[in-house]
Amino acid sequence: MPSLRELQSDFLAAILGGDAAGPAGARLECELVAGGYGIAGGLAVYANNAEHHFIDSLRKSFPVVHRLVGEAYFARCAREFRRDQPSRSGDLHHLGAGFPAYWQRRHGDDHYRYLAAVARLEWLHEEALTAADHPAFDLAKLARVPPTAYDTLRFRLHPSLRLFESEFPTLAIWEANRRTEQEPEFIDLSAGGERVLLVRTTNGIAMHRLAVGEFAFLQQIEQARGFTDSIAAAEQADVEFDATVALEKFVREQVIVDLWEHP
Amino acid sequence: MPAAAGIGLRSAHVAEVLQTRPRVAWLEVHSENYFAAGGAHIAQLERIAEFYPLSLHGVGLSLGSTDPLDLRHLEQLRHALRRFEPALVSEHLAWSSVGGHHANDLLPLPYTEEALRHVSRRIAAVQDALGRQLAIENVSSYVEFSSSRLREWEFLAGVAAESGCGLLIDVNNIYVSARNLGFDPEVYLAAIPPAAVRELHLAGHTRVQANGRELLIDTHGAPVAEAVWGLYVRALARFGARPTLIEWDTDVPPLATLLAEAAHADALLGAAHAQFA
Repeated sequence: MPSLRELQSDFLAAILGGDAAGPAGARLECELVAGGYGIAGGLAVYANNAEHHFIDSLRKSFPVVHRLVGEAYFARCAREFRRDQPSRSGDLHHLGAGFPAYWQRRHGDDHYRYLAAVARLEWLHEEALTAADHPAFDLAKLARVPPTAYDTLRFRLHPSLRLFESEFPTLAIWEANRRTEQEPEFIDLSAGGERVLLVRTTNGIAMHRLAVGEFAFLQQIEQARGFTDSIAAAEQADVEFDATVALEKFVREQVIVDLWEHP
Repeated sequence: MPAAAGIGLRSAHVAEVLQTRPRVAWLEVHSENYFAAGGAHIAQLERIAEFYPLSLHGVGLSLGSTDPLDLRHLEQLRHALRRFEPALVSEHLAWSSVGGHHANDLLPLPYTEEALRHVSRRIAAVQDALGRQLAIENVSSYVEFSSSRLREWEFLAGVAAESGCGLLIDVNNIYVSARNLGFDPEVYLAAIPPAAVRELHLAGHTRVQANGRELLIDTHGAPVAEAVWGLYVRALARFGARPTLIEWDTDVPPLATLLAEAAHADALLGAAHAQFA
């Protein structure tokens, strides 16, 4: 008699492999009984459930990619992605982490390579939704920092902060396709790339386009670089970068939420 | 948890529940939907928990698996319990993963002594880790193992006795499995120790044809069937009034539909209260 582990291995292979007629399925034929609908009919319920949960989870995380490619192609690609990267968690919310890379592999060299960028933006949106909370910036703390401490000063970004950069007008594509009640407007893919900040606010996820300097500044802060070095990098990237304006803006918008001094 | 009807809280209804605070005794959510570190979703449930008793119902712990227990999943569950302080915590008498791969579905166990010892040990370990009792739910079945030496009801009662867990009896699942696999649901109910029953579930199912024969699928996407209401009345007669959940997960209807189903369960619970008083 097969052990519990052997039975489970065969059962999972039969329903995840979609091949109840394969070797695992053949072994299971001797181990299972079912009603008049037959063993294959019973196993098909489990196989369909498993596939449905997987694809539906991706559909919920990537609504814009889904709208762009349509249900049939989305489901086909989700199945292909699942064969390559089956679920490894009892919590379906992690499934989509590898989906942007899948689109990059599938369409990275053709006209549809913007799909990978849209998928990447949608996954960052998902991450921002569920990241940790953080209290508002204590501005008095900022006022107490003497200018002599700027070199060792580090800022902390809100845990939901995500930075996104793409060669395509990805946020424009996302915005046009989130409004499902109307036909999306035409987006010119050659309109140029975008740098986008995502951060969670009390009204949901705010997504703002950033200037080159602002993006470089936040990238530096994200990497725990010092305030002075971050400003220098931003100014080098963008001569119009104004550190005072940027700092005031990012503190006001709760993008920067704390500070600390590097010893 | 009051011995009254609750509803499964789904994301489509969260804002309405917060705004209107409908008259319903308690709410149940899927534990894994509240594992996030933070965000509006979490804050909303924290507010809801101020007004309603909560039940956290897990679908992903894979209790019957022969893989090691997923300690990260367990830690996230423990964190959710600290955060929401639910009145009830439940999981399934099932497995969903092996070799690190997950089906994310509730798969059946063979009802053998080996499986009984294995799953009871795992449930006991989870209860120890969480510092509280789990209610374990029977699942719908579409196949069963020829190696089973016990019937499902004997296995379930055995797991409760061996692990010290409570039971969550899903009346619809009993009905679905009974029709699919050809057993008498009354025999099932009669074998369940009433003192172990912490909660009852009611949900809708779907009838399909497979291989020219009827197959019932536990879809949670329809009203509770008349025959299941009938079985529920008999379950109440055996167990007494118990917290009863209306579960609806697919094609989720307006909140009012769930509340109407809960009101019907409450009426039947009222009769059970009177009978047992």
